[in-house]
Amino acid sequence: MDTKFINEVERYGADHFKACYDCGTCTAVCTLSEPGHSFPRYFVRLAKTGQKDEILRSRELWLCYACGDCSENCPRNADPAELIAALRRYTIASYEPTGLTKLIFKSNPLYILVTLVLAVIFALVLLSFHPQSDVSRWLFKYIDYETIHYTGIVAAVLMIFSLISGFFTSIKNYSPQKPMSKPWDALKKTLIEMGIFKRYQSCDTYEDSYWAGKPWIIKPWFLHFCIFWGFILLFTATAMDYLFKNPNIDVWWPTRIIGTIGGLLLMYGSTIVMIYRLLGPTKIYQSTKLADWVFLIFIWLTGFTGFWLEISIFAHDHTMLTYGILLFHVVCAVEMFLLFAFSKFAHALYRPIALYDYFRTKS
Amino acid sequence: MKIGVYICHCGSNIADYVNIEQVKKAIQEQGEAFLVKDVMFACADSSQKEMVQDIKTQKLDAIVVASCSPKLHLPTFRGVARRGGLNPYNYVQVNIREQCSWAHSDDKKGATAKAIRLIQAGIEKAKNSEPLEPIKIDAVNAVAIVGAGVAGLRAAIELADMGTYVYLIEREYFVGGRITQWDKLFTTNQSGREIITKLYNQLISYKNITLFTGAEIVHTSGSVGNMQIKVRVKPRYVDTTCAFDKEKFEKAIEVCPVEVEDEFNFGLTKRKAIFKNYPGEFPELPAIDYDNCTKCGECQKVCDGIDLDQKPEYLNLNVGAILLATGFDPYEPSEGEYGYGKVPNVITLQQFKRLMELCPEQLVYKGRKIRSIAYIYCVGSRQQNGPNHYCSRYCCTAAMHTALLVKEKYKDIRNFHFTRGIRTYGKQEHIYHEALEQGDVVFQSFNDPLCQVSAHNGTAIVKINDFLTRGKPIELEADLVVLITGMVPRKDNSIGQLLKVPVGRDHFFNEIHLKLRPVETVIDGVFISGASQGPKNIMEAVNSALAAAAKANNLVKKGFISIEPTVAFVDTQQCQWCDKCSEICPFDAFEKIEQDGKQVASVITSLCKGCGMCLPVCPENAIELHNYTDRQIESMIDDLVHV
Repeated sequence: MDTKFINEVERYGADHFKACYDCGTCTAVCTLSEPGHSFPRYFVRLAKTGQKDEILRSRELWLCYACGDCSENCPRNADPAELIAALRRYTIASYEPTGLTKLIFKSNPLYILVTLVLAVIFALVLLSFHPQSDVSRWLFKYIDYETIHYTGIVAAVLMIFSLISGFFTSIKNYSPQKPMSKPWDALKKTLIEMGIFKRYQSCDTYEDSYWAGKPWIIKPWFLHFCIFWGFILLFTATAMDYLFKNPNIDVWWPTRIIGTIGGLLLMYGSTIVMIYRLLGPTKIYQSTKLADWVFLIFIWLTGFTGFWLEISIFAHDHTMLTYGILLFHVVCAVEMFLLFAFSKFAHALYRPIALYDYFRTKS
Repeated sequence: MKIGVYICHCGSNIADYVNIEQVKKAIQEQGEAFLVKDVMFACADSSQKEMVQDIKTQKLDAIVVASCSPKLHLPTFRGVARRGGLNPYNYVQVNIREQCSWAHSDDKKGATAKAIRLIQAGIEKAKNSEPLEPIKIDAVNAVAIVGAGVAGLRAAIELADMGTYVYLIEREYFVGGRITQWDKLFTTNQSGREIITKLYNQLISYKNITLFTGAEIVHTSGSVGNMQIKVRVKPRYVDTTCAFDKEKFEKAIEVCPVEVEDEFNFGLTKRKAIFKNYPGEFPELPAIDYDNCTKCGECQKVCDGIDLDQKPEYLNLNVGAILLATGFDPYEPSEGEYGYGKVPNVITLQQFKRLMELCPEQLVYKGRKIRSIAYIYCVGSRQQNGPNHYCSRYCCTAAMHTALLVKEKYKDIRNFHFTRGIRTYGKQEHIYHEALEQGDVVFQSFNDPLCQVSAHNGTAIVKINDFLTRGKPIELEADLVVLITGMVPRKDNSIGQLLKVPVGRDHFFNEIHLKLRPVETVIDGVFISGASQGPKNIMEAVNSALAAAAKANNLVKKGFISIEPTVAFVDTQQCQWCDKCSEICPFDAFEKIEQDGKQVASVITSLCKGCGMCLPVCPENAIELHNYTDRQIESMIDDLVHV
């Protein structure tokens, strides 16, 4: 066993799991834990006994939606949900080939520095290409429309590259198990779960849990649903805009409608989640780490500046502020994509893979 | 002779199966009883008062209560007799509940007939009963305490404080016992030595305590209240002039050419033949280990207080009771048990405690700097295939506390606990939690042995199928393996054999009743305390020492001891002294005396337990038992066999 792994896990932000005395309450209360896929207690053991390989190849780490029922019920305040989050960061960092994530996840100042330096570089790149004489729209007076697109494409390519790399690292680690259902069925189930979060909805359903009596519209699963679909819709709108090369400003244009709905969902979800992370109504929100904030702030800033631009365009606000906001918006969006495999964002890849494997091997 | 008979319904317990009316009628018709009554509950207050009244107003000479077992209510109705002005031994209890209604619930007629017969026999016994008075024997208000560990010292102080003279007898040359080998102790982090120093200073302020070190009881005679003990005191071969001249003493140690394994440090270090286990040890007088001393005389040249010609002293002491506080031995793992004796870096907790004290800066064992420690629990306890079946109580706490101390004292230590489940009961739970929070990892297994230890490039590999991690095989490379050994009884039980103190299946001293009489033994006047009666932590050992002190004081302080008068007595006219009675007596209660010019047997009443073993073996029928005299028993038999 790796006797120093316990301290490594601590560096990823698990501050309390050492207090665990192996009672198993967390696993007992978890609505997603089941025979053959039991967690989170087992992960406390894996972390304490330095079973790195087992952690890296586990599906359960990604099956968890971090509802925090386990931490609420832990008699030792060992915060198993916090450990699961830390182990996910450890896994993201281990799957990512450059080693940068390992550094930034373990050092908050470095994380902030890297994020800011990257932002400055992007801003300089964007500003260094002056637009051609025929500016298609007043908005792109200072930042070239084409430059934005090409930067976006470069970021997207890098993202796709890191996605593929993460995908293969991830599935390479999985130990082969006997498939119990057809690939098609497993894929279908995975897509349905990704669309409606049925498993997430089963979290926090105990009578005495904090969210049990609350309206669905403010429940964590729904906020996650909003962010997820907001993101998908915005991504679709952006992609369509690019494909049709039609910078139409009419709000009734289909891509604009999709974008606006997506933006609203994204803003609603991320704003409420940020409030939760600030106020800490439950333990899981109280143990918010920088990596959670970075991802959330990126989403929120991208959405917020997007809407600002919408309004500015609509109001023909030709001030420097608008041009500044555009720069900010593009930098946020591009960096968010670029850092996909280097941030919490990566769960969007690893969870579906885990879900697919789970459905495929489940009898 | 006026005899009152009371027949108890015991609610429905008796009355449901024994026809009380019929019994009452039969007894009345027989005419032997002066008064026959039936009562709903004989033991009820109102019934007791009625009986007392009857005895007084009717001037009864004896009473019979037909109710439950005498084990339950004999003292109750003896009290009734006493309050009515009767001698308690003129009371007879007949058991018609257990022996009639419960035993024959399927045969009401038979049960009733049997009840009648038994009561008739009881009446016969009452008719022939004689008034008896408790036997009073003189008691010396002095107690010998064997063992001057924490329990013995604490008991000595308490007894002395209550006005009892104490002889504290310690086999070693120094007091303090096992706890002086332990540094900081849970919960106060006070060291064992600090505790002993405190107790010793208290002890020497008492004029009524005499401490003997290097001393052993070699012979005892007499009985409870008045025991004669013979104590052998080994010489120290050193007198006070050497002891208080520190320089001279140190010089004497320096010149001593003999080096032997230091038992105090469990063989981790060597010591000289002239020694003290640690500076400031009490009594502050070094000693010479005579068996290992070569008598070369080197020490005498530098220190004039050394006298190798001192001889053992024998002292005869007279005490009322003996209190045993002889402690335990740490379990010694067998060769190869978890690598002990085979893998070089495997030691016991006792050794580890000494090692920690010997390493003030860095934890080093056999030249290797220790960074990771594997603690293997339940070594010699809870054995599946061994004599020690149960938990040793102190070890989980001791190990966890040690793990805390190690991390506090040295840098970069990692602790790994291989357990059968943690039992840090009570307040000690806190240290378990503290140990977890500092990052200690706990493994668990119920296999026997719970893990395997093997040597590997100067380290030890510990393998376990960890129950807590789905039984996964886990391998740990540890610099040091510490076997958490439990407590076992003292190898040398000579004092127990001398005093005939019974031991349990665990070979620790046995108390009479685990809950209600926890510090008394079946040997009257011999009390047990501390870890001599089973594994205990210091708190529990002191608890039992104080209990034993209170019980011992209670026994001897009045100057006399009352015992039951139901003892054997010899008809000296008939006795021919054939020795058969003294041979069979398990309590050595017979002595040979001269009377009217012939040798006869005599009962030492303070030793006789009234068991009756001697009665059938006497060829002359010269021995009888008070309250069970031949007349009483024969009259009962006559009545029972009468058709």
